[in-house]
Amino acid sequence: MFQNRTEALALALPAAIFAALVFLVPVILLLSEGFRVADSWTFSAYADFFAQPLNRTVFLRTLKLGALVTLVAAIIGYAAAYAIVSLPAGTKGRMIGLVVLPLMISPVARTYAWIVILGRTGIVNHALMAVGLSDAPIRILFSETAVFIGLLQLFLPLMIISLVSALENLPKDVVPAARVLGANWLQVFWKIILPLTREGLVVGGTLVFTGSMTAYITPAILGGSKVLMLETLMYQQVTVANNFVAASVIAFILVVMSFAANILLKRIATARNRS
Amino acid sequence: MTRRLFAPLTLLLVLVFLIGPFLIIVAASFSAGDTLAFPPQGLSFKWILKVFTVESFRDSFVMSMFLAIGGTFAALIMGIPASYAMSRYRLPFSETVRTVVSAPIIVPGIIVGLALLRYFVVPIGVPITLALFLAHTALVLPYAVRVVSASLNNLRPDIEEAAVLLGSSRLGAFFRVVLPNIRGGILSAFILGFVTSFNQVPVSLFLSGPGVRTLPIDMLGYMEIVFDPSIAALSSLLAFLSIGIVFAAERFLGFSRYV
Repeated sequence: MFQNRTEALALALPAAIFAALVFLVPVILLLSEGFRVADSWTFSAYADFFAQPLNRTVFLRTLKLGALVTLVAAIIGYAAAYAIVSLPAGTKGRMIGLVVLPLMISPVARTYAWIVILGRTGIVNHALMAVGLSDAPIRILFSETAVFIGLLQLFLPLMIISLVSALENLPKDVVPAARVLGANWLQVFWKIILPLTREGLVVGGTLVFTGSMTAYITPAILGGSKVLMLETLMYQQVTVANNFVAASVIAFILVVMSFAANILLKRIATARNRS
Repeated sequence: MTRRLFAPLTLLLVLVFLIGPFLIIVAASFSAGDTLAFPPQGLSFKWILKVFTVESFRDSFVMSMFLAIGGTFAALIMGIPASYAMSRYRLPFSETVRTVVSAPIIVPGIIVGLALLRYFVVPIGVPITLALFLAHTALVLPYAVRVVSASLNNLRPDIEEAAVLLGSSRLGAFFRVVLPNIRGGILSAFILGFVTSFNQVPVSLFLSGPGVRTLPIDMLGYMEIVFDPSIAALSSLLAFLSIGIVFAAERFLGFSRYV
């Protein structure tokens, strides 16, 4: 450990000053815009924002989709992670590699794939018509379902890898022991697996929830202007309505939710280190 | 017996759900038809070849490459000394510095982009290209600091103290002892930064002007107007590019140790 404080500051300050100037100051200025209407500090912009039914719908839809994607990702994630953890070492590594692989691919490309699948001339419509379930192509794109599917595909890997590392720390004998003692699978999950992997679930859940809430690409491509979420609404407020106050309000909501999630994550991480 | 099959079957379905769409894009990019459809009508390379002839793709590809390489490079130039100060010195306000430097990762990118547009581009007249460069650098900085810090913390501090005791200058010890030992970490930070910056959309949304656009933004705009397989072709080319980079990094560097 070197003691020279001047040297330490000289090394660290360029990065800190850069981040403060390019990031912190402009972002704080932007967030303050929503609290300043007609040169005085007020919450009126927030009242105005939530007074509009469309904004309320978008806000609630964003929360709902975030929660739904997180819930479904957790359910599927547990099953997939459990299967991965039970594999022999070599196959396990390869499976984790396959699960992580999509994270390296551009989200634009990953979301675009759903147009090929869910579009009018896409696979799902081909299959439906071939089987005779439908005479004409049905509309799946630009619905909440499409956005949900896109978000789930985008963020499921994060949930799976969080749960894999949680399940790997699960003592090997607890599940068989509970089975021998007569617990059924639901009881095993609810009373043993869930409490012991809670941290991994919270880490994965936070990543999936904040990721879904602050997604732009998926609602933009698969939802269009029919299924707006907070970020696509913010984009519209700026580019179509030129309403920077509303944009600032949305920005503040997004920042508050991301920070809350991250503080929660940090709490859990430090609680684990202490124990 | 059904219980035993349930989890593996779910895993299989999950992999189909995660990887399948990517395979479909690859298949669609070899289509011979003029509209995007699956199964593809016929087999051809025409859309793959077309990607290289679209001028705006070429320009925005160069822009994205410049931002990803230049921005990550700039982030490392600032991030390496900062990480070194945080891990080897008794740095005053160490926690504050760490929070400030890693804050861009927590705040959604769309907000950073809009903030730069409102307070740099419009009032001060900062050119959009420079604003994009600053935004991408700020975005990559947290990753650079995190990965380089991790690899510095894995390196024993006494070897550079030994070098200093043996008569090397502090700077000489850094360049001849520390730097060669954290090379893998730095390269991993570079790759992670490159992929993050290259695929980044929300930060660049508001920072585009005539002729200045990143590739993903250009793709988003193009797919709203044209409904042909060229975006599929471009997407698969880019996907193979990033998978190739990450695969090579894992192979030669053990990338996943650092990330």
